[in-house]
Amino acid sequence: MENLAALVKQAPDLVEGATSVKSLDALQNDLLGRRSLIAGLQRQIGKMPAGERPCMGRAIQEARGVFADLIATRREHLERETERMTLAADRVDVTLPALEFPEGYTHLITSTIEEVCDIFIGLGYRVVGGPEAESGTYNFDALNTPPTHPSRLESDTLYLDWGDPADEILLRTHTSPMQARYMEQHDPPAYVVVPGKVFRADTPDATHSPVFHQIEGLAVDEDLTFSDLRGTLAYFAREFFGADRRIRMMPDYFPFTEPSAQMHASCFSCEGGGSCRVCGGVGWIELLGCGMVDPNVFEWVGYDPSRVSGFAFGMGVERIAQVRHGVSPLRHFFDNDHRVLSQFR
Amino acid sequence: MRVSFNWLADYIDLRSREPGEVAEVLESLGHEVEEIQLLAPRFEGVVTARVLEVEPHPRADRIRVCRVTTGDQPMTVVCGAWNFEAGATVALALPGSTLSGGMEIGRRSIRGVVSNGMICSERELGLGEEAEGILVFDSGVSVGNDLAGLPSLTDTVLDLSITPNRPDVMSYVGVARELAAYYRVGYRLPEPDFPQTEAVPRIGIEIEDPSGCYRFTAREVHGCTVSPSPFWMRTRLRASGQRPISNVVDITNYVLLELGQPIHAFDLDELGGAGIVVRRARAGERLTTLDGVDRALTPPDLVVADRERASALAGTMGGGSSEVSDRTTSVLIEAASWDPPTVLHMSKRHALRTEASARFERGVDPHLPPRAAARAVELVTSLAGGQALAAVTDVVAREDKLRPVTISLPMREAERILGPGFDTPRVVDLLSRLHLRVEGEDPVCVEVPTFRPDLTRPIDLVEELARLWGYNNFPERVPRGPGGGRSVAHRRTRILRRALCGLGFSESVSLSFMRAAEIEIWGWEDDDERAGEIRLKNPLREEESILRTTLLPGLLRVARYNNSHGLEDVAIFEMGKVFLDRPHPTLPKVPDQPERMGILATGQLGGSGLGGTPRPVDFYSASAVWRAAAHHLDLDDWRLEPTDAPGWHPARAARLVLGGAVVGTLGEIHPAVVRKAELSGRVIAMELDLDPLVADRAHWQFREPSVFPPYTFDLAFESPEELGAQDLLSATARAAGSLLESARVFDEFRGDPLGEGRKSLAINYTLRAADRTLSGEETAEALRSMARAARQLGAELRGDL
Repeated sequence: MENLAALVKQAPDLVEGATSVKSLDALQNDLLGRRSLIAGLQRQIGKMPAGERPCMGRAIQEARGVFADLIATRREHLERETERMTLAADRVDVTLPALEFPEGYTHLITSTIEEVCDIFIGLGYRVVGGPEAESGTYNFDALNTPPTHPSRLESDTLYLDWGDPADEILLRTHTSPMQARYMEQHDPPAYVVVPGKVFRADTPDATHSPVFHQIEGLAVDEDLTFSDLRGTLAYFAREFFGADRRIRMMPDYFPFTEPSAQMHASCFSCEGGGSCRVCGGVGWIELLGCGMVDPNVFEWVGYDPSRVSGFAFGMGVERIAQVRHGVSPLRHFFDNDHRVLSQFR
Repeated sequence: MRVSFNWLADYIDLRSREPGEVAEVLESLGHEVEEIQLLAPRFEGVVTARVLEVEPHPRADRIRVCRVTTGDQPMTVVCGAWNFEAGATVALALPGSTLSGGMEIGRRSIRGVVSNGMICSERELGLGEEAEGILVFDSGVSVGNDLAGLPSLTDTVLDLSITPNRPDVMSYVGVARELAAYYRVGYRLPEPDFPQTEAVPRIGIEIEDPSGCYRFTAREVHGCTVSPSPFWMRTRLRASGQRPISNVVDITNYVLLELGQPIHAFDLDELGGAGIVVRRARAGERLTTLDGVDRALTPPDLVVADRERASALAGTMGGGSSEVSDRTTSVLIEAASWDPPTVLHMSKRHALRTEASARFERGVDPHLPPRAAARAVELVTSLAGGQALAAVTDVVAREDKLRPVTISLPMREAERILGPGFDTPRVVDLLSRLHLRVEGEDPVCVEVPTFRPDLTRPIDLVEELARLWGYNNFPERVPRGPGGGRSVAHRRTRILRRALCGLGFSESVSLSFMRAAEIEIWGWEDDDERAGEIRLKNPLREEESILRTTLLPGLLRVARYNNSHGLEDVAIFEMGKVFLDRPHPTLPKVPDQPERMGILATGQLGGSGLGGTPRPVDFYSASAVWRAAAHHLDLDDWRLEPTDAPGWHPARAARLVLGGAVVGTLGEIHPAVVRKAELSGRVIAMELDLDPLVADRAHWQFREPSVFPPYTFDLAFESPEELGAQDLLSATARAAGSLLESARVFDEFRGDPLGEGRKSLAINYTLRAADRTLSGEETAEALRSMARAARQLGAELRGDL
């Protein structure tokens, strides 16, 4: 009995002394196993006087409970400790890029076109495409471009040695021919955007390329005014360049719109002044040409210019991408250098 | 057009206006200001001085000793220039002054004579390029003034970009007229006034071709003296970007800039015969123009000719033979009205764009010639002397061009395009300010002066209303369209693009051209659609002379570019049009230009990790890319068939058949083509017609995953080499019927113990039923029927069932 009391008193130190699961197992055997003091006392209990039995029984039961609790707690601790050590040994360098999934990049021209189209789809526009090898009829005549207009000269336009020479087959110089093609095929209202390649007789240099991309916009309805043009372009500028953009418009000249304008957006990179990379310190960025559709274009496609009105705009895809991301010179759009492509996102 | 603020103030009151503000106004009116340049003297301590005496230097022949005064005590200055005499007013740099470029002037002895400063040339003062001779001022300039304070030397120049529809603004008067409209003030036109002599003109004028020349005004000045123009005129011309030459020539440029009417001055004594004729050039005729170029003329060229030969290209450039020179004593001033397209084409044909042609090709007011000729003659008599003949030879060949246009503008039209508020009072106010004569209320009747050739229709007036009202004063409104968005093909193209990016391919965008050599390496037959190329009529370079018939050359170019920049593993794709020498299937007159999708890869493909090796590309990479793409595009009605198409590896390429039609080729490019393209190793590619891939199709349907256990097993088949794995897979799958869940080839084997021309394919099958656990009998039956199906194709099961 005294021995048991002493052992109970000793037990916490004994359990604490077990520093591994294995030694704890041995201790458990010593304290609770068949050869343990408790087991011995339990065996002797029948030989004890009846009056002492309950007392002894309680003492044994209490000691058993104390030992079991101590061991269970210790076991949990040791197992946690063991797992902690195992996991610690499994340490990795979290900064090591040990695995790379194959990754390809959408071209900036494509992603820019998609983003701009998304903006206009949100306004209820339809996205359409059109031929790149086009006839002079659609590229010029339909768009109120007089036969003597300088843009028709071979110094500006790339002509193809194909078809009937009278048809003047050429590489379209803008996406605007689709204005005429679309309106010819569809009754008003017409709300469309036309992304695509366009071509000019330019030798490649820092700011010129014989091929570049445009997005044409056309809205024709019964009551569209100059305010609708302004509002639409301001909406676009805010969606594409940031919520606090303002726009300004200046009169310009295009054969197929009147009034015609160029649109500038307030610079997103500076407040004007100084030497800004984006706007050169002017505070404004020239973005695109636009205007109200010329009545002659409506007449050509068979719309009644006294009943419908509308606006059109054409923006350079490389231009707006360049402005927003600083990609320059222009050849980086067409060299397809992986070091450039992999920057696109 | 460079506009000097000082000069502009001759025609409109700008005293209370800052140049920056004026620039903003001009921009709001549509005249873009490309640059605002401040001109200021770049010297200090230079004063105006009068030369009192000029004497030879006692010890040097080439320099002279001058006595000059700045108002008080005369002083001695040594000078090497000879273009002045006593009485001249000159620029004297006093000792201690600094000249343009930082040169400091001191008192120094020149060959024994002490010079108290230096008499300066325009170049030394940084005013002009002229170094010959010193600057001699006009007689009106007073002595002793600090030259830096001379008002004409401090100026602001606005460099305007004038749109091609506004020739009327390509002059000082025109710019003043625009500003006058904006500011609601008047502007001044020069009113020539000069002594005139009654005499019979020596030269008669004949317009032989009224289609090219509407009007020809000529005036003569006899007995004038050609010399440098006065300082004020040189300063103004230089500020406007013109190089001063001589008084008569400068006057023609001055009047051109002032009024916008190009003027030509002929040396009267060098014109052969007594008459000028305006005619088309004769075949074989030649003319040496003022720029010294001997030009071959053709009949569309319009010339001003004397009785013998052409002496000027009409409205473009004069000829050398009748050029005004130092010896000229009599001049004929020409102010004419030319047909714009005639001048445009002539200047393009001769690659000769001049200040004159730039204006004539856009249209110069046919009412201007008499006023401009008078203005030029006024300036000649005042600056070069001589007698101006009162007689004006003014031949009008096209009366119709002198009549103003009248436009009727209904008020409804203005509001329909511009929105509410453009009622009669506002419209009348705005148009009147633009110097148009407006009558009536609704519609208003507008008479357009001939200096505005761009205004012919109501919409042209609507634009003018918007312009003067201010584009930025319109409210903003966002209209909504009826919708439509992207077509099915657009959406599916985007799915394909993203799938390819996910597989590690980057999108490239190439110019749509190719060179003949890039096609030749493929060895296609002449009747191949890709060999039938469309050429440009006017290519700029060989690289951009033929439209691409295939995406492959562009993809090879990109691979080579990246290889040469140190990147061995290239995986790219491109989508775009190719151009084929046959009519477009639906659009009349234009060539066929189908959309294609092309991919190309070299080196290794796939992800990589530490110690891992990505797989070098080969045919199977190409077919794997296709299978992944087909999955994303929800296409399953396709098969690959071996092909020995030229340019492709004879044993490692396939044509893709989709829905029964061939849509393109994929596989490895022939090693010979790879070598010629300056690449190495295996190069895989694919070129497919895009339209059938992205066309609308029946949508895939959901299959409920079975909750019952699968029965999975491997079968190995021995077959002749010719048997395609896909055929074996399909046949065994058909035999397994609805029980088949998946079938995947996991091994291909050749060699012992298989005989020559034999191969073994090992396939992992999973069978499962939707509604029950498969019994042993069912699976055994399925296996037997699969083996039978294989046997019918010549494939024997290896081992027992």
